[in-house]
Amino acid sequence: MTSEKDIQKDIKWRAYLVYFAICLFGLVIIGKALTIQIVEGAELKKKVESLTLVDKSIEAVRGNIYASDGSLLATSIPIYEIRMDLNTEALTDEIFNAGIDSLSYQLSHLFKDRSPSSWKQELVRARAKGARYHLIKRNVRYTELKQMKTFAIMRRGRYKGGFLTIQKNKRELPFQVLAARTIGYEKDGVTPVGLEGAYSKELSGINGQRLMQKIAGGVWMPVGDENETEPLDGYDVYSTIDINIQDVAESALLKQLVKQQADHGCVVLMEVQTGNIKAIANLKRNANGNYYEGYNYAIGESTEPGSTFKLPALIAAIEDGYVDLDDIVDCGNGKLNLYDRTMYDSNYDEGGWGKISVKRVFEVSSNIGMAKIIRGAYSKNPQKFVDHLKSMSLAEPLGISIAGEGSPNIKNTDNNSWSGITLEWMAHGYEVLQTPLQILTYYNAVANNGKMVRPKFADKITKGRSIVREIETQVINPAICSKSTIDKVKQALEGVIENGTARNLGNANYKIAGKTGTAQIANESYGYKYESKVSHQASFVGYFPAEDPKYSCIVVVNAPSRNVYYGNLVAGPIFKEVADKVYANSLEIHKPLGPQKFLAASAIPYSKSGYGEDVKRVFQTMGVEMKTAAANPEWVTTSTQEKSVTLESRKVIENLVPNVKGMGVMDAVYLLENAGLKVRFVGRGAVKSQSIQAGTRAHKGSVIVLELT
Amino acid sequence: MRNSPSIFNNIDWFSILLYLILVFAGWLNIYAAVYNEEFKSIFDASQQYGKQLIWIGTSVGLVIILLFIDERFFNTFAYVIYGIIISLLVLVIVIGAETKGATSWFEVGGFKIQPSEFAKFATSLAVAKYLSTMNVKMSDLKTKAIALTIIFLPSLLILAQNDTGSALVYGAFILVLYREGLSGNILLIGVSAAFLFVMALIMRNEIFHFPFKIEIDGTLLLIISLGLFSTALWYFNRKSKQIIYISIAILVGGAGLIKSVDYIFNNVLEPHQSKRINVMLGLESDPKGAGYNVNQSLIAIGSGGIAGKGFLEGTQTKYNFVPEQSTDFIFCTIGEEWGFLGALVIIILFVTLLLRIMYLTTRQRSDFARIYGYGVACILFFHFAINIGMTIGLAPVIGIPLPFFSYGGSSLWGFTILLFIFLKLDSDRMKVL
Repeated sequence: MTSEKDIQKDIKWRAYLVYFAICLFGLVIIGKALTIQIVEGAELKKKVESLTLVDKSIEAVRGNIYASDGSLLATSIPIYEIRMDLNTEALTDEIFNAGIDSLSYQLSHLFKDRSPSSWKQELVRARAKGARYHLIKRNVRYTELKQMKTFAIMRRGRYKGGFLTIQKNKRELPFQVLAARTIGYEKDGVTPVGLEGAYSKELSGINGQRLMQKIAGGVWMPVGDENETEPLDGYDVYSTIDINIQDVAESALLKQLVKQQADHGCVVLMEVQTGNIKAIANLKRNANGNYYEGYNYAIGESTEPGSTFKLPALIAAIEDGYVDLDDIVDCGNGKLNLYDRTMYDSNYDEGGWGKISVKRVFEVSSNIGMAKIIRGAYSKNPQKFVDHLKSMSLAEPLGISIAGEGSPNIKNTDNNSWSGITLEWMAHGYEVLQTPLQILTYYNAVANNGKMVRPKFADKITKGRSIVREIETQVINPAICSKSTIDKVKQALEGVIENGTARNLGNANYKIAGKTGTAQIANESYGYKYESKVSHQASFVGYFPAEDPKYSCIVVVNAPSRNVYYGNLVAGPIFKEVADKVYANSLEIHKPLGPQKFLAASAIPYSKSGYGEDVKRVFQTMGVEMKTAAANPEWVTTSTQEKSVTLESRKVIENLVPNVKGMGVMDAVYLLENAGLKVRFVGRGAVKSQSIQAGTRAHKGSVIVLELT
Repeated sequence: MRNSPSIFNNIDWFSILLYLILVFAGWLNIYAAVYNEEFKSIFDASQQYGKQLIWIGTSVGLVIILLFIDERFFNTFAYVIYGIIISLLVLVIVIGAETKGATSWFEVGGFKIQPSEFAKFATSLAVAKYLSTMNVKMSDLKTKAIALTIIFLPSLLILAQNDTGSALVYGAFILVLYREGLSGNILLIGVSAAFLFVMALIMRNEIFHFPFKIEIDGTLLLIISLGLFSTALWYFNRKSKQIIYISIAILVGGAGLIKSVDYIFNNVLEPHQSKRINVMLGLESDPKGAGYNVNQSLIAIGSGGIAGKGFLEGTQTKYNFVPEQSTDFIFCTIGEEWGFLGALVIIILFVTLLLRIMYLTTRQRSDFARIYGYGVACILFFHFAINIGMTIGLAPVIGIPLPFFSYGGSSLWGFTILLFIFLKLDSDRMKVL
């Protein structure tokens, strides 16, 4: 019996042991909970805040870049990444299986890149694998997104269908390759390029900030109002690019590059007075022989310019009084030995130019002639030549807004590489470095009667319909030389087209003035050799119309691989095509048809265009026969016929700058001020020209200058 | 049948009250844990909280049924019930649905049932039935073998379903056997082996430096210590004849265990299991991987402070930082929203329930009811200790639910049946002569 008792005792003891264990463990847990919650609590609470509360930045919408006529060059569009939570709780097998076939079909039908069965296979597999963030498609547009929201399963939404969208902004160039390099881009970790980079601060706006809290389902929700800063959307930038001219420039360049199988080339068109770049095209051949905008050669590539540099050399010599256009230079037989090197003229095989005038040297682009002119003038004091070139702002970068400008180089005489023949070589554009844009800016200064202006890529910065900042033309050098020298070299430049190296560019409608250039390329990357032949850089730079220059333009074609490499033949046609197009499109270049002619020739009185009612009443009173197309046009253009007057309706469209040419000042001011513009005018009579082209978008507060007859 | 008072007079209302409080508190916390702005109603049956209410309702139905079944039914049919459950456990391996890596679910018309949750009460019944059979003595080797077979058969089947956590629960039955006369030495050996295993784990990659430039690696040091211990054991008890064998057995068995740690750790345990153990022992820090749950759980509980953040105000659990927040990590929600006080109340409720069950077992006249009651207490204790332990970093994460609290129909039903069979047996204790 004792053993029985022992067992009983023992069992009781064991029961107490279990009681004790339970209580002990309860206490241990309580103790541990106490340390976590009270001792370590503060630190853990901080961790919570860092996990659930975050200042999230709200991306500001980047501004647009427009062409000068208001066409959209670059804009931001929302783009979506679509993902699916294929294992979201509410997506049961039943729902999934019922919807998967139609979803696969719809996805395949929308994107057209895969078959429905391949979609189905992928989705089923991903679901089986437990995917909760399965990528469906990147770069989905809003219209596509809207469609996807109606698809099977997806239409059940985020929680019930696992449909997840992530919005991003993508920069889009509506004209795609057109001026792409100049419009540029801005990406993380890459030096910004083009206008996007130059006006990045204005375009990008200021990101907002919002305190967000993570809530159920991993969604971030804004908390409160006080911590918010609203994002400030970026300003729009109106570039100086004229999309039509740009198009012409780019296609003309492409055509010629393809024809010549050239490595690369560029075209730049600049407005003489303002420095506005109306077109800038750069094309480069890729390995497949296709051309693309890969690098802004016009801005970035410094090369030896060759014969186009004869202009600054000539200006220096004339300005310093060493030569005049009519002085005679002996160009000999087309071959000149200078120490160990030999200089040739292009007609060496024909016996050279012999004795010709300085103007003729320039026209026919005689290397020997120019070398002799400069040697004769500066051989005793070469530094004077260098200094003169520098005084014409040829040694400094232009300081344009777009990054990546190539540095020019004008050597000093104390430079190590200065040799006994450097002077002669500089005279025809070697041993110096200039970018195409720098050469153009110099020629533009000549066209602008000596005033050198900085090339300008943007016209104004706007916010909505109002102007934030107008970008003014900046003067680099108010006068690169005297007016008389300008007049002389202008003659010489016109002579190049009339009877010099660029006769093929002459035409009856308007005069071009300019200079050809054919340089052997000294680019270290491919040396003087390209496809085992001597490589060339053909260029043409000039302005038009010659009498009253409005535009200057440069064309450079590098490494044409056909045997044709002369500037007039390779670069000239591109120049001509661009100039013709610009001339045809710009009414203000055309010589105004004098109204006086009509006054003398016709019995019908000359009239100004203007308000329809008024014009009609005047002619009615005077008993002049009127021909009108429209019944009662508000605004009319009058044109005087032999025995009658024709009234044509003139459309005035809201928000666009109206055409006021031919109108009286009163009507013109009324119309323009209604469009929100500030009017200034010069002269008296009817409006001859208006500084803001008709049909462009009217910005409130812009100043329009009217020139009256 | 001398006295056949109504069941309502004899049932232990105190336990039922505790049960109801726990279940109701669980439901509220599930609501807080998975609270979804889109479905605000706690009764919304499309959400876990709505579903849990259905489980609670059906559990009440189960309770009523259980209370009206004759208590002899459980004794008589214990083996049958056990047999049915065992066959279900086998069946589920063959045709079960896989969820989170475990094949332990039957899917029936949108509902999922996990037979391993029901195996707990079935095993308790079978163990109670066997040990209460006449002439079964715990000291017999045969008895031990059969009892262990009854316990570990379902455990192995659950292990085969890849649900390690639930399989480990059956280890709690050792306590039942101990209570029924299993030698304490066996328990001692088990605890010592576990201690040695952990020590070996911690020390195996350490190198200890001693004077005279002696370097000994951790494993060897442990074996040397074990050798010293067994030598001492023999020396102080050298009058006993058996002690030499015992000392040798300790040394050889211990050294074997120490040496096999590497093998067990690398080959027997799954990589995620060994990682969890390492994280718990502080040998490895992996806050984004294996330690993620525990780390997030600690942050959630710790951020609650003394009084908590308030109902539905918890950010950590509600915003999906803590995985499995409505099931295995439901205790986080309590800690975060109700703070230390809330956690204290819940722990006290559980401990009280456990002590109450222990107390009820002592008043049982029938061995069957007593042993069954012990099974209930041990299983609940194991779940309670390990579940809360893992949320606060005291135990490795083995993924078992908190009884009555965690979301899930099978688990709630399983624990309800487990508890109420015992309450039914208890209410009829007077009928036993």
